[in-house]
Amino acid sequence: MTRTSAPGVRIDDLTVVYKTPAGELPALGGVSLSLAPGTITGIVGESGSGKSTLALSLLNAVQPPGRISGGTVEIDGLGNVVDLQGEELRRARGRQVGYVFQAAQNSLNPLKTVGKQLLDLGRSHDFDDLPALLKDARALLGRMGLDGGRVLDSYQHELSGGMRQRVGIMFALVLNAHLVVLDEPTTALDMITQASILRIVRDVHHERGLTTLIITHDMGVAAEVTDSLAVMYGGRVVEHGPTTEVLGAPRHPYTQGLIRAIPRLSGDIDEARALPGRPPTLGTIPKQGCVFRERCPIRIAVCDTVDPVPVTRDARTVACHAVGQPATPVTPKEFA
Amino acid sequence: MRSVVRRLSGHLARGLAMIWVVMTLSFLIIRNIPGDPVRGQYEKLIEQGMSPDAAERSTAALYGFLPKGSLWSQYVDYLNGLIHGNLGQSLSTPGTGVATIIASAAKWTVLPVLGGTLLSFLLGVTLGVYAAIKRSGKLGDALSISGSLLHGVPQYVIALLVVAVFSTLWPILPSGGPVDIMFTPGFNGPYIASLIQHATLPVLTYALASYGGWILAMKSSVATVLGDDFIMAAELRGMSRGILFRYIARNAILPLFTILALSLGMLFGGAIFIESIFNYPGLGLLLVNSIGARDYALMGGTFLVLTVAIVVANIAADLLYAVIDPRVRKGEAA
Repeated sequence: MTRTSAPGVRIDDLTVVYKTPAGELPALGGVSLSLAPGTITGIVGESGSGKSTLALSLLNAVQPPGRISGGTVEIDGLGNVVDLQGEELRRARGRQVGYVFQAAQNSLNPLKTVGKQLLDLGRSHDFDDLPALLKDARALLGRMGLDGGRVLDSYQHELSGGMRQRVGIMFALVLNAHLVVLDEPTTALDMITQASILRIVRDVHHERGLTTLIITHDMGVAAEVTDSLAVMYGGRVVEHGPTTEVLGAPRHPYTQGLIRAIPRLSGDIDEARALPGRPPTLGTIPKQGCVFRERCPIRIAVCDTVDPVPVTRDARTVACHAVGQPATPVTPKEFA
Repeated sequence: MRSVVRRLSGHLARGLAMIWVVMTLSFLIIRNIPGDPVRGQYEKLIEQGMSPDAAERSTAALYGFLPKGSLWSQYVDYLNGLIHGNLGQSLSTPGTGVATIIASAAKWTVLPVLGGTLLSFLLGVTLGVYAAIKRSGKLGDALSISGSLLHGVPQYVIALLVVAVFSTLWPILPSGGPVDIMFTPGFNGPYIASLIQHATLPVLTYALASYGGWILAMKSSVATVLGDDFIMAAELRGMSRGILFRYIARNAILPLFTILALSLGMLFGGAIFIESIFNYPGLGLLLVNSIGARDYALMGGTFLVLTVAIVVANIAADLLYAVIDPRVRKGEAA
């Protein structure tokens, strides 16, 4: 029942709404996105763009007051996750889809050692051979440069941020899940730990043959590890394509703005230009028309009334009315 | 292991210091209460026409001793006696040691207090979990409201209500006393049945008086833990419901153990009202009676026992916390 190869994922017209005093507001407005088997896909965007909601949808785990109100998430070997519920859904979580939390979050029970929680995980998924599970965990931790035996005997408060994050990755992989979702895996880590975690993610991804989804707001992280990159804004995927192309020649005005906003290590800080305006919140997402138009430098009349449909042209999907016309030139800069 | 020893010895030193302070204060307060039974007896005898010498001898014979010397030397004598485990002689029941009286009263307090508190703890904690999980439903509202109501009513009012309901309106239980005197004491059915009958209302009062606090504390504790990241993490790893429940319960109950240990200590103080209402011969009633009789030694002894109970409960709470919370065990900040 457990797959031994990387599954593909097809998200189609996924809509997630949050119940608020002002009625149900959309956090995801009809997102369509495919993850090719065996690839690392990145999702970038500002806070509140719906990245984490999209990640949670892959496990059908959108937290109340939110709910998936439409669309499908097809995962090879699992079917439409949106239809799963109860025990079936619980078993898919962890076993088929591994989830790695933001490093700053405490994803471990503070009262139990890592090893005991691993045994809880094994029992929850009816593993008969618990010693083998422990052995796998030790091997995985060893692979990530940790002393597996010691870590399994440790409590959360005895581990550093980078160690916790590796333990989190171990938990996501130890049941042999082949689809792994990482939500801001390196946020709150120092640069050196961040680099080593990213290397681990990339190496383990190749060794185990995974399909990986990484949520991040850090363009550097996305550039470093992802094969393809989706840019989200206001609950929509506005651009999606191979990472080098999206970063090297961004087509959507929002992607262009994001890249211009990155400060360089060397050079003038003023070269980095922040996008004017603010990202929309749940309540301020326009009901009709393009969600980005208020901040868009190439806005045209049709943007006010019609939500642009994502158009795919040579491996690149862009949702913008203006992009069909001659694109505004962006100073193409080598992405550092 | 060494840190546990160090921790324990620190606790003991602080506990002893605390006991000494309370003992000194209560010694001073007690000696300054107007009315002195020994002097009263002495003066009564003189009024009856006895010579001062004879009156002094007679009083000394009655009480077994005579308070002599300055306040300071009495204080030194008192502390010296305490160190040797001698709580002194009771004045209101001449010829009986304070320790004996307290020991025989203690059992009437310890068992009902323990029973009542544990009962309300178990009930409150269990219902508190439901109140938290169903907090947006009718059941959760009802549980929370019952908790708030009971939490706001003072113990002695609950005691009176309980007596009114179960002894007057619907007379099924005795309203006072520890046991019916018609039964021979010992391990026999009727005597034990009578003991239990008489203990029911005091235990019920202790339980009702603290139940509200438990349910409210547990509810807020569970609500906090439910919002913790690791609970969602466990859920997304596909942990079974049983394991999730244990994760929530164990983390939520943690802060309540401290309150439990402390409230056990505090309840001995609360026994004063409840034992007076139920005429139950425990430490609380003993304290009230000894104050009425100006029985210094007995007052001092009862204060001492109540103080020691609270200090011991504090130490027990801290050690217990170290056992159940690994973050405290290692001596690190939680």
